Amino acid sequence: MQTVKMVISGAVNAGKTEFIKTISEIEVVSTERPATDDTRLIKKETTVAMDFGRIAIGDDLVLHLFGTPGQKRFDFMWEILSEGMLGLVILVDSTRPETFRETNRIIDFFMSYRETPYVVAANKQDRPNAWSPEELRLALRLPSHIKVLPCMATDRESVKNVLLELLDVIMQRSED
Amino acid sequence: MPLVGNIRDFGLSDFLYLVDRGYKTGCLHLSRADEMASLYFDKGKLITATRKDDNVPVTELLVRKGKLTPVQAAQATQVHQSQNGVTLSQVLLNLELIGRDELQRVLQQHIEEAVYALFSWNEGEFRFEQGQRPDPTAPIMPTPLAVEHLIMEGVRRIDEWGRIRDRIPSTDMVVKFIEQPVERTKGINLAADEWRVFARINGKDTLAEIARKTGMSEFEVCRIVYGFLTAGLVDVIRKPAPVPMLATGRPLAEAPRVKKSLVTRIINRIRGM
Ligand SMILES: Nc1nc2c(ncn2[C@@H]2O[C@H](COP(=O)(O)OP(=O)(O)OP(=O)(O)O)[C@@H](O)[C@H]2O)c(=O)[nH]1
Ligand SMILES: [Mg+2]
Repeated sequence: MQTVKMVISGAVNAGKTEFIKTISEIEVVSTERPATDDTRLIKKETTVAMDFGRIAIGDDLVLHLFGTPGQKRFDFMWEILSEGMLGLVILVDSTRPETFRETNRIIDFFMSYRETPYVVAANKQDRPNAWSPEELRLALRLPSHIKVLPCMATDRESVKNVLLELLDVIMQRSED
Repeated sequence: MPLVGNIRDFGLSDFLYLVDRGYKTGCLHLSRADEMASLYFDKGKLITATRKDDNVPVTELLVRKGKLTPVQAAQATQVHQSQNGVTLSQVLLNLELIGRDELQRVLQQHIEEAVYALFSWNEGEFRFEQGQRPDPTAPIMPTPLAVEHLIMEGVRRIDEWGRIRDRIPSTDMVVKFIEQPVERTKGINLAADEWRVFARINGKDTLAEIARKTGMSEFEVCRIVYGFLTAGLVDVIRKPAPVPMLATGRPLAEAPRVKKSLVTRIINRIRGM
């Protein structure tokens, strides 16, 4: 049995747990705890450690989805999670510009190890005050070759689309 | 829908960059305590700026600065009221009550001062209303201002590390030009020290090395590079690490080179979900 891994990252409250829940075939293994730090000002429950979801591709192949914990003091988990990953989804809460700098730090963190295929998902596009993907690209100063996709982590088709766009980037780097 | 936030988290210069590159038309409203300012943009360029406590027609501003007599101001206002779809600034030019260069100079100075004062705000709510236009009597400049120019000047006023560190976390980072910096520099006037740094950017030297070579302080170099960065002229990148290591001391495995057939299988599976 071969397993491949994708990582879903982003600032606290970006929608990582929601994203994985929407697409995973198994009940998401999540470690939600009452939030501490500044996080509790935004939400009651936050992911500590990680989220884990799974999609069986066939009898011999399975895709694992890992969500990174949002709170800063769990940063050490990230590099463990990022080992050997196929690709990365960076989720952004498009309604909260106060998280954009943190998002850049997260991207920098992953890219400082190596060039991992990634896409940015402009999440919560259903919310009225969401910044559009193009506005997010400028706000985060993402180079033009990086895809910034509209996303609603609560919507299955939308999550599928983000993963398919990421797979398209991975495909371009794959070998025959 | 308006873009909203706080300039504590998303700075004024970041916003100006977004307006410029996004080619945006509309109004950026800024407020804190009892202060309020509004910057109006047309296709990414600044056309006017007003403050709540100084929101006067262009004629009154010019009378105050001794560039227009009250009689001329009244004449222009009257003509303006009988015309549709023109700005009061344009009427002044049509009536030849003031020359174009003179009007530009006076208004630009007034507007720049208003904008530069905003760079000292460490916090304040912002709201960008797309498509919103200024009142036609507002002090609208004949020639809109490129925002890179404002960004550079705004950054010259930054005197603390905090904001700079957000974008330049270490002086070990390398500075390089983005695609067409020459094109972008047109709207900008660089000061002598800025040119010294600008001329040293080669995509190889770190900020610390540039400081050493120019004999300037690291803070000074970072502040200047921060300005270039914010104006979208350069990028700062990490020096490529020789062998990536995990904090655990183990070298990180290379990104797995996957087979196309495997990726195709995953794609088909997700499509079918
Ligand atoms: N309207 C809307 N709400 C969303 C969307 N995605 C996530 N949410 C909500 O946003 C909140 C945060 O989502 P989570 O999935 O817990 O975010 P997270 O990134 O896992 O957060 P941490 O684990 O604390 O870092 C929840 O209330 C979600 O229901 C979306 O697309 N639209
Ligand atoms: Mg979570």
